[in-house]
Amino acid sequence: MNQSRWDALAARQPALFALVLLVLSLVINVILQPNMFARETLNSNMRVFLPIILMAVGQAVVILGGGIDISVGGIVSIVNTVLATRVGLDGSPEKMWGFVFLSLLIGLLAGAINGFFIAFLRLQPIITTYATSFLYAGLGLFILPNPGGGIPGSIAALYRNSTPFSLPLAFYVIAIILLIWLYISSTRYGKFLYAVGGKAEAAYETAVPVNMVRFSTYVISGLMAALSGIAITMLSGSGNADIGGPMTLNSITAVVIGGNALSGGVGGVVGPVMGAITVGIIQNIISFADIDTWWETFVKATIIVVALATPGIVNLFRRRRI
Amino acid sequence: MAKSLSARNIVKRYGGVVALSDGNLDVNAHEVVALVGANGSGKSTMSKVINGVVVLDGGQLLLDGTPVHFPSPQAAKNAGIATVFQELSLIPQMTVAENIWLTREPLNRLGQVDRKTVNARTGELLALFEGTYKTDLHPEAPIASLPPDERQIIEILKAISFDPWLIILDEATASLDSRQVQRLFELIAKWKEQGKAIVFVSHRMEEIFRIADKYSVLRNGRTVGAGNIKDIDEKQLVKLMIEKESVLGFLRGEAKSDEKVEKEISLEAENLTTESLKGVSFKAHKGELLGIGGLRGQGQRHLLHSLFGDLPYSGTVKLFNKEVHFKHPREAMKNGFALVPGDRAREGLLYIRSILDNLVLPSWRRYGLPLKVSNARKDATQTGSSLNLKMAGLEEPVSSLSGGNAQKVVIGKWLMREPQVLLLDDPTKGVDVGTKAEFYALLTRLSNEEGKTVLFYSSDDEELIGLCDRVLVMHDGKIRTELAGNTLTKENLIAASLGASNGGAQ
Repeated sequence: MNQSRWDALAARQPALFALVLLVLSLVINVILQPNMFARETLNSNMRVFLPIILMAVGQAVVILGGGIDISVGGIVSIVNTVLATRVGLDGSPEKMWGFVFLSLLIGLLAGAINGFFIAFLRLQPIITTYATSFLYAGLGLFILPNPGGGIPGSIAALYRNSTPFSLPLAFYVIAIILLIWLYISSTRYGKFLYAVGGKAEAAYETAVPVNMVRFSTYVISGLMAALSGIAITMLSGSGNADIGGPMTLNSITAVVIGGNALSGGVGGVVGPVMGAITVGIIQNIISFADIDTWWETFVKATIIVVALATPGIVNLFRRRRI
Repeated sequence: MAKSLSARNIVKRYGGVVALSDGNLDVNAHEVVALVGANGSGKSTMSKVINGVVVLDGGQLLLDGTPVHFPSPQAAKNAGIATVFQELSLIPQMTVAENIWLTREPLNRLGQVDRKTVNARTGELLALFEGTYKTDLHPEAPIASLPPDERQIIEILKAISFDPWLIILDEATASLDSRQVQRLFELIAKWKEQGKAIVFVSHRMEEIFRIADKYSVLRNGRTVGAGNIKDIDEKQLVKLMIEKESVLGFLRGEAKSDEKVEKEISLEAENLTTESLKGVSFKAHKGELLGIGGLRGQGQRHLLHSLFGDLPYSGTVKLFNKEVHFKHPREAMKNGFALVPGDRAREGLLYIRSILDNLVLPSWRRYGLPLKVSNARKDATQTGSSLNLKMAGLEEPVSSLSGGNAQKVVIGKWLMREPQVLLLDDPTKGVDVGTKAEFYALLTRLSNEEGKTVLFYSSDDEELIGLCDRVLVMHDGKIRTELAGNTLTKENLIAASLGASNGGAQ
């Protein structure tokens, strides 16, 4: 039947929509910015996109597992303020890398806190991470009440200007992440992730360690948010406790565009990565088209609403046919 | 491989509700034990205790005579115990193969799931039910795209995929058609020979006597009898289940009115066509209990839903000779239609709301704005008592009721609207015998005494034969044959269901 073919396609190629949207936005961007694929421009775009890509990957894993993580922006803020205040503009590279390591631990810990509440205390993911988002963002403000501080210029330059083999650093990071994901999704843990997100009760009856899987998704998300925070700190070179907040919606938009069902169990990470790039390009387009920046939020929110409504509208017509 | 499992004096409480107070079960290799009992008697809990889904509060499990403890489903699995769940344990978004091998995926050296092996092994399992599938079932088909009977088969295959010695089949035949049941029974016979043990939980007497070697009866959480199936008959077994006698030999005969007075035609459908109905025509009379039979998924549900305005259709429908074409269930309700849906949990009830809320829901308008709760309560009480609804009070949530009583609420809420045409979509599925008997009496009363037209789709052939004046047998979206009077026999009904060319007389 037509419907099952559509279902099968949607199940196997959830990233199709993301690809179409990515190509579409690329075309518009190229029209507005003809030199977009020049090495310098490409790099300056990709280094801006990378933090949101990293965050979207973590968000995608959580959403696949049937949850959502609103606290990722807060984690970015903590990491950013810690790096900017503890390393400082005149810090040594060794000190920087030491605190990068610490940042990763912070991300893991923050994710573990979310995971503990949600997986073991069985609290609502959206409420829990909404609450912890204030906790984490508040901590960021406590560490650095006013924008300031910074990291050594050499480290920032390393992030901004590295283009091994003429390709932006971000490409390599994305490639590594996708390889890791391809591996993980083909392991047993990968299957568990889809099972828990799909129907947790059934997964439990089949002896899938549901709590551990749920817990792990938040830890992964925390780690990815920390990486995102490190990336954005290197990009900006300075500290600002408000830096993470707006990123949360972007990461969710990226995952939704990427074809993952917000109900869990459907999608992957490839789509959300494309989704994150699309979100970045949309930002580009808006700035190049000389449109007021407040349109940006409007456009992204519209995308989320449309993406959320589309399956519903499709279902509305299907329901007529049982 | 283990040889025997015994459950001794099992106690299990859910909050304040005692699901099992003294559950006992013995099962040995090479035998099929039927675990029987009315709804809410603790059968499902018993199987969940054995397979580790719930942890018991008292009593003991003995595996080959040594006490064991299953703190998780995994522990039971490791002991070679597999369960085919009544509420499906499949993940709709995942494929057939992924579901069957979940947690036991064959891995390669890198720890990745070996897809080739998985698909090959899945293919072997699928071959067990070869020829009974209605769709092109393959290992990578997503579960969401399968009809319920095939999901049930996948559930069975999943359970046997790790070669357990004990298989618990919890109402596994409820959504299978007769060919599939036949195949399952052949497989059970084979497994038995191989030294496996089977615990068979079912409401269908005929199946129990066909397949079981032993029986064990639960009543109100207590095991009240066990023994060899040879030493007991249907009536005695039912008696054990319900305490009071005289149930299954229900209203056979007296329900059928042989010398039929030509009654007024109330509902008439001509060439009803939808995506899955291929031109259905029939006439139903006032005061008639018209059965709809056939294998599952032959368009019976679509027929009922089309009549109820829930599905768009072409063709004509006449109600008392006046053409009607409902585009929304609301219109159908206004014209005195009521549909008792098949899936009561999803379509029929608001589980967390009170019994009163559920009963009043379709007719709340009648009680005005603001709601005259006392009137509603009076009517609801009356409906409840006429249905013999067993409840702690109207304020209790529907979730506190057993399956049979919950189904009574579904019927009750429609009866409060005093409908002229009742459409019933397999209302006795998963309902215990005691409640079934009450249903039968109710349906007979509604049609014979109150002159309502009842369209009764059932997947239970005996029910149709015992209860209905006429049965329309559907096959592949069409009415294959109409059975009435002398031609209404089990043989004819099954033959026609299977689409046999000589199925039933005209």
